[in-house]
Amino acid sequence: MSSLIPQFVVDLWDAIPMLFQHLIIITAQILGVTIVVILTVAFTTYFERKVIGYMQGRLGPNRVGPLGLGQPFADVIKLVIKEVVIPQRSNRFLFLIAPMLSLIPALAAWAVIPLSGSFVIADINAGLLYVLALTSVGVYGVILGGWATNSKYAFLGAMRSGAQIVAYEIAMGFALVGVLMAGGSLNLGVIMQAQAGGFSSWFIIPLLPLFFVYFISGVAETNRAPFDVTEGESEIVAGFHVEYSGVAFALFFLAEYANMILVSALTAIFFLGGVASPMEGWTFLGDGSFLREPNFFWLAAKISFFLFVFFWLRATFPRFRYDQIMRLGWKIFIPVTIVWIAVEAVMAWMKVGPWSV
Amino acid sequence: MLANYLPILIFLGVGTAIAMVLLGLGLLIGTGSKDDEKLSPYECGFEPFEDTRVKFDVRYYLVAILFIIFDLEIAFLFPWAVSLDVVGGFGLIAMGIFLAILVVGFIYEWKKGALEWD
Amino acid sequence: MAILFQTILFYCFAVFLIGAALGVILSRNPVHAVMFLVLAFFQSAVLWLLIEVEFLALVLVLVYVGAVMVLFLFVVMMLDIDVEQVKGGLTRYAPLGFAIAALMVFELVQVIWVRGRFASAAEGFVPLPEGYSNTEALGAVLYTEHVYAFEIAAVILLLAIVAAITLTMRKRPGLKLQNIAQQVAVKREDRVRLVKMESEKPE
Repeated sequence: MSSLIPQFVVDLWDAIPMLFQHLIIITAQILGVTIVVILTVAFTTYFERKVIGYMQGRLGPNRVGPLGLGQPFADVIKLVIKEVVIPQRSNRFLFLIAPMLSLIPALAAWAVIPLSGSFVIADINAGLLYVLALTSVGVYGVILGGWATNSKYAFLGAMRSGAQIVAYEIAMGFALVGVLMAGGSLNLGVIMQAQAGGFSSWFIIPLLPLFFVYFISGVAETNRAPFDVTEGESEIVAGFHVEYSGVAFALFFLAEYANMILVSALTAIFFLGGVASPMEGWTFLGDGSFLREPNFFWLAAKISFFLFVFFWLRATFPRFRYDQIMRLGWKIFIPVTIVWIAVEAVMAWMKVGPWSV
Repeated sequence: MLANYLPILIFLGVGTAIAMVLLGLGLLIGTGSKDDEKLSPYECGFEPFEDTRVKFDVRYYLVAILFIIFDLEIAFLFPWAVSLDVVGGFGLIAMGIFLAILVVGFIYEWKKGALEWD
Repeated sequence: MAILFQTILFYCFAVFLIGAALGVILSRNPVHAVMFLVLAFFQSAVLWLLIEVEFLALVLVLVYVGAVMVLFLFVVMMLDIDVEQVKGGLTRYAPLGFAIAALMVFELVQVIWVRGRFASAAEGFVPLPEGYSNTEALGAVLYTEHVYAFEIAAVILLLAIVAAITLTMRKRPGLKLQNIAQQVAVKREDRVRLVKMESEKPE
């Protein structure tokens, strides 16, 4: 290794105090993860347009670069050189702060996501609580953005979104309590390890109702179709970001897609074993088989699958009415999760079933 | 333990920096002409009749208050869920009573129609 | 080195916290004040993390920033408050505010100084061992030793639900509702009536 790196670089590195070496390594890791997330967002937009295109019998983007793969970059360049319009009667400061407030939690939540069997940026005990806390902070971007714009459409969108996000956050929290009971820890890595042993020990089997509640709540929290009444273009034009343009809009867009990827990753970790391989228990593949190892690519495959489901839902369902959304969140999901928690608690106490307790 | 939280602090900082750099870049590069019509709030082609910040339906407050209560309930459930094996049967009964009291509240909401949205 | 770093962090965030708290009472725009309060909660969460109470710190963010402040924001945004009128109240309520502040300072001094003399807090906080989860430690005592307080919390929450509904639930008069199920289930017989009628004859 030392032969590859020039001597003066090694000397320079050794001359830095330990604490700063540590800080530099962490910052490099964080930048790496952030850049990967942003690139994934770029290609997710391409993926979405292709998937929906094919579902509707179209080709989707196919002009920029081979297979249209350059499309995301063209979009980014376009968004950056567009003018950022700040409406006259808006509150300038909050108008510009709002998209930042929705992007920062969407990125920072990735700190506790285990990206391979051993790599995680911040291995904290209360990882799940941290994720839940950060996602609940994301609502500020939407509410402030809608209010600061000072347009009726934006304000209506923001209010709808606020009430909707809080309703589904409760269902999400209850579903996570079920996962916690099965996993026995708030640390995401430990929850993942509790599901080791192949497909049959993943939490999706004992926690099937909670899996559906969690994923659908995730769709509702990210304001995606069919829960996208906050930007329902047939009623309130574009909702909270009606006056946002250029990069300010791009930040909201980035946050929305980063949140979608985050929800997919969390669903994979909580219910599908995260980086674990579905074939872990297949001993006939041999001991050192690549297919049985926990690997980042399994996580990536699961995330891609859930992203596909996001687009599938969008292409399939018409938009919910607002009262239907609220009814689903309060009157169906919350009772289902409470009942399942009760069932799980009694079973865990009687030592019946697959709980690790 | 604190060392594990340091990356999170840095991550929040990096996130803020990225957001600010992107926004700054856009404000710097993306210049255009500004005129009154472009900068006026979006409406159906006429001046808005009244201010946007109007009084809103009280139902939104009710949803927010109920949300706080349920959020607290979840906060109470978390420590219990991770210490199931420590608290055992006694903890189970304690949590059973806790949840039962709150389910009564939930049924009350439901019957009163606080969860209807019309 | 690590201790020094922690001390620096503590003082940085303590200063931020005081700055944010001043922002809450000094900003003219109520929405700005709420955002300063959110910032203040964040800073307090970081300060709590520095004394290694991660569960409480994260619950502070989850409950206060994620829920209570959203309600504040809703209220402030939708109750078009007259800013000038509020400003006028500042001088009027200042004496009362100072009295309460003095009382709180007295209480703090009492807790930290007077009681601290007998406690063994002098050696500071002992760093917790690796792998110690204070969520589990909390769970182990909350549902066993402090079960009475825990059930009282449930009753208080129930009371809060009932109170919130009695105070804010109002059926708006003259509200016209549509019952979709009823509309869909309607039959031809419910709406259409065929009437046999004699044809009119010219007189």
